[in-house]
Amino acid sequence: MMHRSFRFILLFVVTQLLQAYLFNNLTIGAWFNPLVYVSFLALLPLEMPRGVLLVNGLATGLVADWFMGTAGLNTCVAVFAAFTRPFLLDLLFGKENIRDGGVPSPERFGEGGFLRYAASLVGLHHLLFFLLEALSWAQIGQMLGRWLVSSLVCVGFTWLMARVFTSKLTVRV
Amino acid sequence: MRALCPHSRHNRLNCQTLNKLLEFIRSTYVVLLFVVIEALALHYYANSSPYTQARLLAQSTRVAGGVHGLFSGVKHFFGLGRENRQLMARVAELESELAAWRRTASPLPADSTQVVIGERQFRMTPATVVSNSINKLRNFIVFDRGRRDGVERDMAVLSSTGAMVGYVVEVSERYAVAISILNTAFRASGKVRGDTYSGSILWEGTDARTVTMTELAKYARIEPGDTVVSTGFSQYFPADIPIGTVVRADLNEAQTAYTVQVRLMAHMSGLGPVILVKNNDLPEVRSLLESERVEELKNRP
Repeated sequence: MMHRSFRFILLFVVTQLLQAYLFNNLTIGAWFNPLVYVSFLALLPLEMPRGVLLVNGLATGLVADWFMGTAGLNTCVAVFAAFTRPFLLDLLFGKENIRDGGVPSPERFGEGGFLRYAASLVGLHHLLFFLLEALSWAQIGQMLGRWLVSSLVCVGFTWLMARVFTSKLTVRV
Repeated sequence: MRALCPHSRHNRLNCQTLNKLLEFIRSTYVVLLFVVIEALALHYYANSSPYTQARLLAQSTRVAGGVHGLFSGVKHFFGLGRENRQLMARVAELESELAAWRRTASPLPADSTQVVIGERQFRMTPATVVSNSINKLRNFIVFDRGRRDGVERDMAVLSSTGAMVGYVVEVSERYAVAISILNTAFRASGKVRGDTYSGSILWEGTDARTVTMTELAKYARIEPGDTVVSTGFSQYFPADIPIGTVVRADLNEAQTAYTVQVRLMAHMSGLGPVILVKNNDLPEVRSLLESERVEELKNRP
């Protein structure tokens, strides 16, 4: 149990550091802004109580806001992702399946299932982020472009992290 | 979380109500917690300004700036060749300007009102970028120079080639944060070099290489390829600082003003060394603007 908690703390630190020192400073273009810290929330255990999930979302958002200087924006979207995650999982895989617990991964849900789950969670999280960041419909086309590119990169990152992270973890409890 | 109810009827009813309340809280506390956190986060975000964001960024850089410095050092190392070529080109340009000034120098300047007495109006400080983003709507730049190096708020930030990049909004002891020209809250005034009509420079958040100059009077002489420079009206930037070149100019629907697409001269995605410019006259200008007489005239109906 301690070993598993340590791995999740490590995942939290790795995603936050990669976000702060790598992805925030990549100057590829205005369309490329993947918020990879959401991978941590996506990979938290399925059996985690919803309240604890919200607290994890709060911690993730606060640290991201602190690094990015975004004053509440990341907190808002990370808590939203943590809140909607259980509903998404129930909707995609059924309550019975989720009740069995484990870590969301391609092994646990299958490649297609995991990608559907990651795309839904990351897509919702990024959509809310870009909507709140713009606070206007004036550049809706550009906003959707940024959302699409950044979400695709983030889904790829989440898939990669799930592969690396669950390589030695029991995926089904 | 269920309370044990006593036997008396009145107390039992109260107890059952309490149990129902506890049950309600237990079943809805996640939603309540979610609503409270979201409300607080949205309230904080809605009341934030570029200055709040810069202050937050300055705080985190104070702690995490060392690692940013390490990464920027590595990046800087690989960009040394390009940087050196840019600096050599800049030195050559300044040398030729200096030579021209020397040729025309005379004991009495043609316009004696331009003689600068005492301290110079602008002071330059070199700095290196430790963190820079171009992928958000509100982008900021962090430098490795702070209060102890004489950096202050409102200093202009120019690229190593002397082009407009942003201005300083927050300073800590060792670092400074500037609002980037690629920030939707950034505003400066610009004009076509050699012309008198000015417009407002802003970024629409779409292309990291292009900004927009709006409200440029239709009488302005403008052609694609013209250079757009600062006007000097701004409190931050000296006059004639290059901003970029005109890509396209379109008259608005009312045919009264141009909206101009300007390709930035500063290479925003590869900023390395920059120049911070302090306007020594700024406090004096501001105190004049805030003087009682000016305030009185402002408030006159």
